Amino acid sequence: MRGIHVSADISTNDICTIDGVIKNYGNFRALHGINLTVKEGEFVALVGPSGSGKSTLLQVISGFEAATEGTLIIDGEDMTGVAPADRPTSMVFQKLALFPHKTIAENIGFPLKLRKVPKAEIERRTLDMIALMQLKPEYLTRYPAQLSGGEQQRVALARSMISHPKLLLLDEPLSALDVKLKKVLQAELKRLHRSLGVTFIHVTHDLEEAMMLADHICVMKDGLLLQLGTPDDIYYRPTHKFVAEFIGETNLFPVSVENNGYVATDMAGIQGHSSFGPEVAVHPQAYLMVRPEFVHMVGAGEELDVTLGVIVSETFNRGSTTQVKAVTKDGGHLMTLEIQGHIDAQIIVGAEIRVGWRDEDTHLFDRTTDTFQAAS
Amino acid sequence: MSQSLEPSRFMVALHALPSVLLQSAFFIVPLCMTIALSFQETEFYRVQWVWSLETWTDVFTTRYYWSILWNTILMAIACVIVCAVIGFPVAYALVTRFKRWQTTIKILLVFAFLTDAVLKTFGWVVFLDQTGPANYILSWLGLPSLPDWVLYSKFSALLGMVYTLLPFSIFTIFLSVDMIDRSLLRAAYDCGAGKFRAFWEVTLPLSKSGLMAGALLVFVLSLGSFLEPKVLGGGKNPMAAELIRQTFETRINWPLGSALTIVVISITVITILLASRLLDLRQRGQT
Repeated sequence: MRGIHVSADISTNDICTIDGVIKNYGNFRALHGINLTVKEGEFVALVGPSGSGKSTLLQVISGFEAATEGTLIIDGEDMTGVAPADRPTSMVFQKLALFPHKTIAENIGFPLKLRKVPKAEIERRTLDMIALMQLKPEYLTRYPAQLSGGEQQRVALARSMISHPKLLLLDEPLSALDVKLKKVLQAELKRLHRSLGVTFIHVTHDLEEAMMLADHICVMKDGLLLQLGTPDDIYYRPTHKFVAEFIGETNLFPVSVENNGYVATDMAGIQGHSSFGPEVAVHPQAYLMVRPEFVHMVGAGEELDVTLGVIVSETFNRGSTTQVKAVTKDGGHLMTLEIQGHIDAQIIVGAEIRVGWRDEDTHLFDRTTDTFQAAS
Repeated sequence: MSQSLEPSRFMVALHALPSVLLQSAFFIVPLCMTIALSFQETEFYRVQWVWSLETWTDVFTTRYYWSILWNTILMAIACVIVCAVIGFPVAYALVTRFKRWQTTIKILLVFAFLTDAVLKTFGWVVFLDQTGPANYILSWLGLPSLPDWVLYSKFSALLGMVYTLLPFSIFTIFLSVDMIDRSLLRAAYDCGAGKFRAFWEVTLPLSKSGLMAGALLVFVLSLGSFLEPKVLGGGKNPMAAELIRQTFETRINWPLGSALTIVVISITVITILLASRLLDLRQRGQT
């Protein structure tokens, strides 16, 4: 497994089971039969472009939208016909939806007030939440508009968690924040998830955010769940060309797969041995995927599984890494390399360099269906 | 000579001049004249320029004037309550239930504003008459006919006032209800609130500013109601505006009319100041 991924202790209990959920809006089908099981204590991210159905799925889980078909089981109970108020879920809204006419204390304590919890207990638990969210106790008597964006975010989280929901649903709550604050709150979310042990389902269009936070990522597109896996699965072993392109940068070359190897169909110099083994079907139309960080610079006399000469067309200094855009000698293909640290001074635009990659770092997709070729 | 983008004081004054002239000619000067007039006396229907407090003594010692003022305030309060009670559900339904017909309904409401009040008020007289459409509809529905006290009573006067002022109430409440973020209601449901509780905890408090503004408008306009109490009330329960008109026109006592006018204006101003202070206090914490 590449990269280190630490996940919280996850029990084996299923907290949420989504089985064949279809959602129609008139003639438009927003969800095409989603199956998803979330384990207790997991942090799951639903990722996809707008219109992918990720928010709709969250609305179905929260109860604000009813599924047209399929079942939803939360904490062992069928949620069909159960109102949002009666579900063991709690939502953090995109626009936060803090009550502007209620003080911070009233906002946070509202779910408990509705459950007729005694006043003293509400007060105690509100203070606990304030401490957990690292908010100042003097904020309790203020109104939401008097707090900064980040503080309002913490209040919204506190309100969602005070009633100890089984499932915390986050509907892109960080999308409206500036980058710096976003980073702080992402770290905060991760800390909260670890310390509370509550199951989080987080909708976001920001893949980097999903990779940072989640134990499992569901990539959605056009109402379909394309891939469900760990961040490493999604990044290094995408099962779909869309997933590969959606997450990070990638190089895709059209190739044809022949017996025990592949050749680029219209690209001089690429001929690799297939490390995928005999299970890779012979396929005239495939894509070869190589992540930029696996395209290495190759010294003279050195050979990788695939080695070719390219011409540098652009370099981007990204601080810890340098990104190099290069074109194949015949000018037909652009590729992206990512190199750790700074590059040699002679690598300037127009210079010829030798690059290459190892076959085990590559991936093949069917060019007609865009799906992964082999189960490896 | 350097040209400054900042307009000179002279230019500012020049630009403000038309407005200043207009305001002074049609508002400030008449108001000052009214105040000055209230300190004069009248004899044989003629104003005597003597500067005395006689008129004011008269105002403060005559119970009849104050009972009419009191009646006016009560009618205005009743009108405010009825307008709010009818206006709120209408505005709420416009926002939540009739989104598709919102524009049509708004245009109809504007038409209600544009229709002349005299026409509408006399329309009610015709409608409520013993031989009018109201009784015809009631008998067609098999209901007993209107008692004959209905027309030319406080009740009809109030009906007419509500009818004229209701659009103000609906519009102001509509604006505040429409501004409520729908996700707040979702949040309330998500926190565990039922429909009624969410309405009570979220929608109603957040509509308060619209309710208050609508109430203030309706109250102030009710104080000046003149046509409805006269035409529909049959002149039996005169309100302040009618008293003032009579004092000027029938009794030809301009100092007294002026004094009564100032009393009504004072009540209006005090109400507006109190209400804006209340709203200000409420909102200071929230914005």
